Amino acid sequence: MSTRIAAAIIGVVFGVVLSWSGMTSPDIIREGLLFKSPYLFEFFAAAMFTAVAGLAILRKRAPKALLTGERVQWETIKPERRHVVGSLLFGVGWGISGACPGPIATQLGQGIVWGVPTTVGLILGVILFGRMQARAAQGAASGTSSSAATVIPSPVAADATA
Amino acid sequence: MLHSQLPWWIGGPALGLCVIAMRWLMNLRLGVMGAWSDVVTTIGARRLSFGPFGWMLFGLIAGAAAFALIAGGPDFHGYGWLTDTFTGTGGTVLIVAILFACGVLIGLGTKIAGGCTSGNGLSGNAMLSPASLVATMTFFATGIVVSVITEALIS
Repeated sequence: MSTRIAAAIIGVVFGVVLSWSGMTSPDIIREGLLFKSPYLFEFFAAAMFTAVAGLAILRKRAPKALLTGERVQWETIKPERRHVVGSLLFGVGWGISGACPGPIATQLGQGIVWGVPTTVGLILGVILFGRMQARAAQGAASGTSSSAATVIPSPVAADATA
Repeated sequence: MLHSQLPWWIGGPALGLCVIAMRWLMNLRLGVMGAWSDVVTTIGARRLSFGPFGWMLFGLIAGAAAFALIAGGPDFHGYGWLTDTFTGTGGTVLIVAILFACGVLIGLGTKIAGGCTSGNGLSGNAMLSPASLVATMTFFATGIVVSVITEALIS
């Protein structure tokens, strides 16, 4: 099976679960963040502990990836300023809109029109980041450092999948 | 059946299994922001050759569409506290502006932080990456503070 088809199937499962669990709804997220309902934290903790257990086994056994044949392994990343700065910005957007990148996609899928302005903003955010990254790389090349350089990872240093 | 919320002890582990599957099948870190990013940068380069992440995003959207079709519509109406607070035409315009601004903060913020709720929150923490733990604590704390402040402002 190609990696694209496998990733699409994983996406379908992810989308159904995010919809069925109500994570697509800003009300469910807000009830969680206001501690009115434990569901968000129970859901998140259950997802995380499942993934922690599964990845721990994978890391120990380091099998070959079933589709690509490469060794299953990864590097961990040390905390930097950008992880705090970026997550602060993200947290503000999340707290107000009750949406993050997954639920924004499932809102679109469910035909919820309110997801459209959030999506347009999100796309603009990705484009803005690309520009800032290019500028930071240019600044680094010409030897002029800017304050942005401390929070904008260079294309090389950026987490490959984010 | 689709109208009742999936119990957390089924939904949570199902997402966790998605993270494990992505790693075991193709040694990738599952992250929805990475998926958005793949689609935006690929289209930005005037290409249509999406990678696994792009296809994961299409699957995500298709899965939600299938859910809405089978359930007979989306699983909520209105848009939470925003449509409860801001009504009428002016209110709608304001909400669109607010959601657009939130989208920019979410897109830019998660790109700077190298992950979102899934990339850092689920996958990164499961990889025992210290940066993801710091990121997760930061966005959860910020989300909680912002929700409490906005709740105080409207009540």
